[in-house]
Amino acid sequence: MAFHRPQKVRMFHRLRTFLGSTLGKKVAMSITGLLLVLFLIAHLAGNLLFFKDQDRSAFDHYAQMLEENPLLPLAEIGLLVLFVVHLGLAFLTTRQNREARATRYRVSQALGKRTLGSSTMLITGILVLAFVVVHLLDFRFKERAPDGLGAMLERRLSEPIGAGIYLLGVIALGIHLSHAVRSALRTLGADHPRFNELLQRGALTLAGVLFLGFAAFPLVVVGSRLGSTLASSSADEGAPTTPADPGLAPLPVSADGQGH
Amino acid sequence: MHLTLHIWRQQNATSAGGFETYRVDDVLPEMSFLEMLDVLNERLTREGREPVAFDHDCREGICGMCSLVINGAPHGPDRATTTCQLHMRRFHDGETIYIEPFRATAFPVLKDLVVDRSAFDRILAAGGFITARTGSPPDANSVPVPKVDADLAMDAAACIGCGACVAACKNAAAMLFVGAKVSHLALLPQGKPERRRRALQMVQQMDAEGFGGCTNERECEAACPKGISVANIARLNREYLWASLADPE
Ligand code: HEM
Ligand code: FES
Repeated sequence: MAFHRPQKVRMFHRLRTFLGSTLGKKVAMSITGLLLVLFLIAHLAGNLLFFKDQDRSAFDHYAQMLEENPLLPLAEIGLLVLFVVHLGLAFLTTRQNREARATRYRVSQALGKRTLGSSTMLITGILVLAFVVVHLLDFRFKERAPDGLGAMLERRLSEPIGAGIYLLGVIALGIHLSHAVRSALRTLGADHPRFNELLQRGALTLAGVLFLGFAAFPLVVVGSRLGSTLASSSADEGAPTTPADPGLAPLPVSADGQGH
Repeated sequence: MHLTLHIWRQQNATSAGGFETYRVDDVLPEMSFLEMLDVLNERLTREGREPVAFDHDCREGICGMCSLVINGAPHGPDRATTTCQLHMRRFHDGETIYIEPFRATAFPVLKDLVVDRSAFDRILAAGGFITARTGSPPDANSVPVPKVDADLAMDAAACIGCGACVAACKNAAAMLFVGAKVSHLALLPQGKPERRRRALQMVQQMDAEGFGGCTNERECEAACPKGISVANIARLNREYLWASLADPE
């Protein structure tokens, strides 16, 4: 009588073969990467509430609503798993790729399709990782200030170092995604002469929207702060009663015409 | 024409190797790149020195035997052209040219510019065929094949297996080669029955040979002397993904 291994074992065996292969690893990276992109879309959409009002109450309310949701820990664990799988596979595949091309050429030449994004995926990825650590320490693992999350974010982004770190993180993410989205779709098999142009443009647009959306936070806060410093210093000349510490004054969000 | 050549010289697979510089004069613009190397080798032989070893066979762009990375480009600066079909009129008098072997851990250097590409043969042996005898060519249209599929299969079948895709890829990935071979057979009725097994086994062998993975940079497509499209890589991804999910044949 033929011996059949139980279905479960075969499934496990197949999954192992799949994830053991170069193609399977890339597929897993693509899926985790694209799910992280979905998270980023939701994260950006929610965070844009920051710009809704001057006292950040819409943003604080949104943050509170998320925190009160009993499913939040589950979502956090999910995100952590996606992130860890993605970057674990990133290091693994990058190491395999380097071993496959151990000797370099004396003269090397881009033949035309290489981009800044495609040739720096590991570097931009590591920068994003460093940024995410800072970002979590800033807000996830720090005691909430009494004046709310919005005020905390505003204070962080009005420090030059804080704004610099956030801008750098967003730039790294933008470069990573400029290659990542179309690449992931290709890895999952998406290629058709009729849709390639559309896919390429759509992927770049998505990366661009995420980049500009997240870059708006440090840019607007720094911009409006500069605006308010200028305004208060010119006001200082006429009326010395202006608050001495502009850091505590509410920021005039629409000073540069961007916030609304 | 006068040229300065920096050529990779390596005694055998285990020795270290390095660049050596040669001046060649009396090069004619009508010569092919390989004929230019012939001129150099004849001189070296006359001088009692060891000629430069390089691969070649048909010298008409169809066998895939010639190789070389010329100034950083596999098969040199011309698009969709093998080294044997590259002509010296593409270079200018007094030019300096770097000539290196294809670089990949899976393509070890045997001597000078000659690399061992038998990894490709082993990948083909792992599944790049049809097990049943399909007989002599059938009468035209006796096996109906949609025109679109026939065209795509012909495009994929143009791959001569030279390995330029591996040489161009920063990961030394063989995805364009395997993609072309898997596509070529999966698109045709004769190849369809074994398509899942073929995709699984060829990818398994590709990994075992130590080729890298695909970053979708598409340098391979730009380097391919036969203009094989990366659409074949996407098809390989689909074939492999499907074969991994579906029931085994
Ligand atoms: C929010 C965070 C991140 C997102 C949204 C993201 C997204 C993506 C996506 C969609 C891909 C394309 C997958 C493919 O080409 O098949 C990708 C590739 C990659 N990611 Fe990320 N990623 C993130 C963070 C990271 C981190 C932290 C690292 C590393 C430490 C990293 C390293 C890489 C590498 C090395 C590649 C692929 C390189 C290759 O194809 O050879 N990523 N990423
Ligand atoms: S020698 Fe045959 S293709 Fe160049």
